[in-house]
Amino acid sequence: MTGGNVVGANAVSARATGVQAPAITISNVSMTFAGREPSQSVHALDDISLDIRKGEFVCLLGPSGCGKSTLLSIIGGMLQQTVGTVSVNGTPVSSPRPDDIAYVFQESTLFPWYTVLENFRLALKFRGIEEANWRDRAMQSLSAVGMEQFANHYPKQLSVGMKQRINLARGLCVGSEVLLLDEPFAALDEQTRMVLGEDLSILLARRGKTIVFVTHSLAEAVFLADRIVVMTARPGKIKASILVPEPHPRSPDFMLTDAFQNIRKELYGLLRDEIRQTVAAMRLARDAQA
Amino acid sequence: MSPHKIRLVRLLLILGVVLVWEFYARVFATSSLSAAPSQVLAELWPKVLGEPRVLNAIGVTLIELVVAFVMSVVFGMLIGVLVGLSDVGRRSFYPIVLLLYGIPQAILLPLFVLMFGLGPAGKIAFGFSHGIFPVIVNTIAGMRNVNPLLMHGAAAMGATRFEQLRYVVFPHMVTAVFTGLRLAMTMTLLGVLLAELFVSQGGIGFFTLLYAETFNPSALIALILTLALMAVALNELVRLVEARFSRWKE
Repeated sequence: MTGGNVVGANAVSARATGVQAPAITISNVSMTFAGREPSQSVHALDDISLDIRKGEFVCLLGPSGCGKSTLLSIIGGMLQQTVGTVSVNGTPVSSPRPDDIAYVFQESTLFPWYTVLENFRLALKFRGIEEANWRDRAMQSLSAVGMEQFANHYPKQLSVGMKQRINLARGLCVGSEVLLLDEPFAALDEQTRMVLGEDLSILLARRGKTIVFVTHSLAEAVFLADRIVVMTARPGKIKASILVPEPHPRSPDFMLTDAFQNIRKELYGLLRDEIRQTVAAMRLARDAQA
Repeated sequence: MSPHKIRLVRLLLILGVVLVWEFYARVFATSSLSAAPSQVLAELWPKVLGEPRVLNAIGVTLIELVVAFVMSVVFGMLIGVLVGLSDVGRRSFYPIVLLLYGIPQAILLPLFVLMFGLGPAGKIAFGFSHGIFPVIVNTIAGMRNVNPLLMHGAAAMGATRFEQLRYVVFPHMVTAVFTGLRLAMTMTLLGVLLAELFVSQGGIGFFTLLYAETFNPSALIALILTLALMAVALNELVRLVEARFSRWKE
């Protein structure tokens, strides 16, 4: 146990105050994907239980294929779990709920045939927001990420980083309380990624949204999260839950502190065995096929 | 090479072919069997295009073509979308379409004439039978391979099934559908003209046969030239409409 963890265990998240019902409740969720034959079915998640407070920023961290994204899809109502329940704001989730939950995917899901502004208007239309407010809300969200001058560009005219920035802004613009981010920065280079991470921290500090963020990157997890949930290799279980007691917005200087480094080291220690196990399982599967 | 130079070379090529043709027709060819470009141009106006009955025939053919094309597009897209909507629909229906598409339709022409008569109806039906298949095939093809991420994204944002079709699947289909439309335009024209040549009481096919049988090659070529220009113009029209729908790709 490192110092960071001990301090964190006693501290309530910097942004959540008071006792309230959790924004997201995950109870005993298991997920099995049926294959063509029983032997091909995949046990992806095993008995996951997790409460996420309103306003909390939780990172799901784990080796590839551990079911992080599957869990996120289940929370978002995109996938139906085999066992257990997931509730958002007290209501069980069984299908996408754009009123409560916004989803940002790994790659830009901006529609290439519409301009940036048209994309925002469509998101607001799907969400059922009155047309009179579309333009203002879209422009507000765009200027929040500094992209308002690209409102009339087509996605193809923008870089990957710009697209993902806009994608993120679109997720915020619909005003859902819960934001699910599935490796939103995975396709970006390290530097763009850091800048976007900082922006995200600043944006979120202002809005108090509840966030679940899936990532592979240890540094990203420590920099952004109030709490990091480490998952095991498949079938995914919760291995550990680590608090990061640093208030938002966080400055890049936070990355240079001992507290940051200690948590990062601890995460690495937790993950190393799981990654080994994943690689070993992959080799085994490959040899079995050969 | 600059685009400018390439255009120049292209022009020279065409000019060369026309000159060779002119030379050949004037020096070697039998005048009752072939005509030089200059003679064709002289014949085009006022004899061919100045003749009200020819103009009328071109008009009738154009109407037949437009009706057959519009029917192909409307019914082809309707069938394509309905079939493409479900996996079962596609897998059960698509092979039938491909099979029918593969039949050389010329052998069905007498049947069409029998069923639809000697007038415009037969030509429209035959043009339609040519045009509808490329539209169906390309519409079905266009509905496949939509980026699943975009569909997920739309679903997560709360888009209804209809909204997913309207804002994701349909825009995605545009490229494939226009490929179908351009093909359909060519095929419809082919169908209409084939039917015209097979039987005609005063349409473009009648005059084509008349000019051929009376050994009037310059008038015949002039008429063919007119039809060719018509086909090119119609194809360009479809391309212009396509460009209007494809601005996001630039």
